[in-house]
Amino acid sequence: MIKVQSLSKSFNHRQVVANLSFEAPSGSITGLLGANGAGKTTTLRMICGALQPQSGSVVIDDLEPDAAPLKRRRRIGALLDHMGLYGRLTVRENLVYFGRLQGLTSPELKDRTASVIAMLALEAIADRRTAGLSQGERMKTALARALLHGPRNLLLDEPTNGLDVPTVRALREVLRRLRDSGVCIVFSSHVLEEVRALCDQVVIVAAGQCVAQASPDEICSQAETETLEDAFVRLTVC
Amino acid sequence: MLNESLIVAQKEIVDHARDVRSVISSLMYALMGPVVVFLVALAVRSQFRAGAASEVLAGMMSVFTLVAAFVGGMNVAMDTIAGERERHSLLPLLLNPVPRHDIMIGKWLSIAAFCAAGLIVNLLGFGVVFTTAGLRLTGDAGALLLALALGMLPLALLAASLQLLIATLCRSLKEAQTYLSMIVFAPMLIGMFLVFYRGVPEWFNLLPIAGQQLQLELLMKGGSLPFSEPLWLGCLTTAAALLILFLAADRLERDEIVYGN
Repeated sequence: MIKVQSLSKSFNHRQVVANLSFEAPSGSITGLLGANGAGKTTTLRMICGALQPQSGSVVIDDLEPDAAPLKRRRRIGALLDHMGLYGRLTVRENLVYFGRLQGLTSPELKDRTASVIAMLALEAIADRRTAGLSQGERMKTALARALLHGPRNLLLDEPTNGLDVPTVRALREVLRRLRDSGVCIVFSSHVLEEVRALCDQVVIVAAGQCVAQASPDEICSQAETETLEDAFVRLTVC
Repeated sequence: MLNESLIVAQKEIVDHARDVRSVISSLMYALMGPVVVFLVALAVRSQFRAGAASEVLAGMMSVFTLVAAFVGGMNVAMDTIAGERERHSLLPLLLNPVPRHDIMIGKWLSIAAFCAAGLIVNLLGFGVVFTTAGLRLTGDAGALLLALALGMLPLALLAASLQLLIATLCRSLKEAQTYLSMIVFAPMLIGMFLVFYRGVPEWFNLLPIAGQQLQLELLMKGGSLPFSEPLWLGCLTTAAALLILFLAADRLERDEIVYGN
């Protein structure tokens, strides 16, 4: 579970996130929607502890906001805006490196690496260097890296960008399985169709503030529109 | 803490050892000195036998050795922070439950390892040059080795810290390449100045970079040093390296390192 409470952040006197609050429950997929520059990426970066909020707090599961940052990071897996793989290392070596930094012991690491490789069907490329992989293969490797330590919360920033249809479908299937196993998933996307198909609830962000939080159908009802796209435009363009 | 730094260092060493172009380029830089000294020695062989050119050759060697400590880790330094920012792999790394200063120490250790490797290749190169060109040093080989161990290896640490600090200030590989190429000139400038300048104050012997240059040159020319001098210089150089490493680690704690990429 992720609870964002009155989060604010500015860069160079420009307010990027302003008093943003929402809650993403465990066992659900929460879509973070917003136009470019709405503050989605900054919010995700603050949730995972890469950026410090100027005010407000983030509660992860039962850990209070003042809990040790490193302890909080263990509860989160993140794939933020770029895959950031090491091109000269193989898929397996990338995973092992991050697993060791997550503090997994050797037997755990072996089991978890085999498990995420199987979950994301990476067996055929596990011992290839990531520099030569396709966009979809790199995305799956980065997702495997985020899932390696078995986090109860998963943050994804536009994970389907640049992916072909079969890969997007495979990713959706993986996310549904994770949700069903009780993982809290927060992901940002520009593809409203995808959000409607996948998300249990949607948080719409405009100018760093939450303008709506409900299920996709409820948001359409609130905005009195047929489609989520129309609702999104009505709620964010003013 | 040390375990996590060593995990980072091990990964960096394996990763960069696979970068063949970078390794070849570092090797060429490290061997540039021995090749130049070999050619000069051949050109002035008759004078050298008479001892006329030996002082200049010894000075040249010490300058090239000084530079070798810097160039060995240059490619690694530019790739390990600025390159990671450019390729967007720094952010996933920082999301691990590892203190950022431990990550920095790991990166520093790997750069220092490459700097030390550059130094060793350079010295081995000079060893080959001495054998093949029939040259002989007038200095005490034991004292020279001690000065190298106490003075030059801490210099590899200092070079790694300086390069790491500059790399954390740069947003792209290109920018890091520009600035890091410039700092290689620092030991060259200091070294060349000291080779030809007479009347250098005593305290220069305890100044990192300048001290190493003076001590190496003195020993190569057959002079002697009390044990304490390279020891003090090594301690001071290591202290300076740790201070600069601390500044670089502090940069990694800032938001700019994340929101810029």
